[in-house]
This record gives sequence, C-alpha cells and structure tokens, in this order.
Amino acid sequence: MTSLDRTLAALADPRRRAVVDVLRRGPRAAGDLARELGVSPSLMSRQLKALREGGLVEDAHPAFDTRLRIYALSPAPMAELRRWLEAAEQGWSEQLAAFKVHLERAP
Amino acid sequence: MTSRVVVALRVAASPERAFEVFTAEIGAWWRPNDFFRFTPRDPGVLSFERGEGGRLVETLASGKVFEIGRIRVWSPPSRLVFGWRQATFAPDQDTEVEVRFEPAGAETRVTVEHAGWEAIPQMHVAKHHFPNHVFLQRHGEWWRGLLEAFKLRAGEEIEQ
Repeated sequence: MTSLDRTLAALADPRRRAVVDVLRRGPRAAGDLARELGVSPSLMSRQLKALREGGLVEDAHPAFDTRLRIYALSPAPMAELRRWLEAAEQGWSEQLAAFKVHLERAP
Repeated sequence: MTSRVVVALRVAASPERAFEVFTAEIGAWWRPNDFFRFTPRDPGVLSFERGEGGRLVETLASGKVFEIGRIRVWSPPSRLVFGWRQATFAPDQDTEVEVRFEPAGAETRVTVEHAGWEAIPQMHVAKHHFPNHVFLQRHGEWWRGLLEAFKLRAGEEIEQ
C-alpha cells in the first residue's frame, strides 16, 4: 500500500471521518473524543489507531501529564491533498474558460 | 459539512445568450479531462435535453448513452440545476451542479457551484478502473472543509 492508500483506507469508514471532523475544531484527548461522539473508549482507541496508521492524526503528550495523549490532525497528508483539491477547482475553471472562448468567438 | 466547489467568470454576452450557448452547445465547448471522466471509456459528447426532467447525457463513440443527471431546474436565462453522477459513484451518491447567469453591466457573470461531495464511496468502487487521484479529485469538497482547518487556500475564482 502507498501512503495515499493508507490515508484513503483510514477515511473509508464514516465513523473515522466523524473523528476527523471533530479534530478539525482542535486537538482532543481520546476520552474527550469518545464522549463527543458517543462511542466506547475501546472503539475510539481502535479508530484512532487506524487514523494514526493512515497518517491522518498524530498524538503527543502534554508537558504536564505524560500519561495523557492528545490527538491532532496531521498536516503532512494535507499538503498532498491540497494539490488534488486545486485540480478539482481547476477542472471547473477550465470548463468555464472554454465556455467563454466558445461563446465570445461565435457571432 | 456544507463546503462546495464554486467557480465564476464573466462573459461578454447577455444572460439569455449565455444560457442558450451553455446548454445547447455544451457538446462544442466542453473539454474532457481526467477530473470530469464520467465512464472508464474514452470521453464522448455531452448534450442537454432541454427543460426540467430532461437529461444531461454523454454519448460515447460506441453510441452508448450515459446519463450524467436529470435537469432539476430549467429557468432561462438565470438558473440551471442538474444532477451529476459519474460511473464510479456509489449507488447512494449524487451530486448537484447549479449554474447561475447574472447580468453584470453589459456582460454576464456565470457561476458554477458543485455541491454534494461529502460522502466518500467505498474503496473498491474507487479502485475499479480509476486511478486514485481521480477518486480524490471527486471529493475535493470534503477535502476543502478539512483543509480550511489548516488555513490553506480555499476557493478560487477567476474574474476576467
């Protein structure tokens, strides 16, 4: 699997996408994520593991408590995804530009 | 999530003429590209069946007709809304394109808004025939929401 495949596989599950959506609002501890999404801590732990392996989230210990893990979205795959997003916008931009040329050329 | 792809530009024509050329002549101005591949086969020619309930279809070289979507709003000269499906979409996935034609002085501002990309279909659908990057491009909207969290550039308009 490429890193892209892993990223996609991690996001194929709608429940994991929900975790990503919560993390968009800011870093969270696993327990907080479980509470916000109404799932068990063990299920949350599995989902975070899959997201971590997909490169989408990373975890860190806050300085005041080494037992606590704080999860945050990882910027690494985002730069790659940004290029695809730009291609999406580019697709419609090109179509509209072609439309304009065609329209203004005809009498 | 409510993010979407929005692109706009101005054309030197009346809204009436812009609407007419957009719909009646789409086969002449549309440029097939990877992002807008409807089927795994070679791109065909697009055409609108005029009026609400009509279809936007792609006619392939083999003569086969692929239905991209039904026309949901046909309000010349100001507004056009149609469904948009590509062959690899999951059965429950549907997206919608709205095109608006607004007077801007002697010209017309044409805005395309493509919404409904939230759901990501199962991997096996995406892996079938289509390269990954095309799969991801089709989910640009969902990614856009994600990227906004990273304060990256979002949305682009060409204004001419």
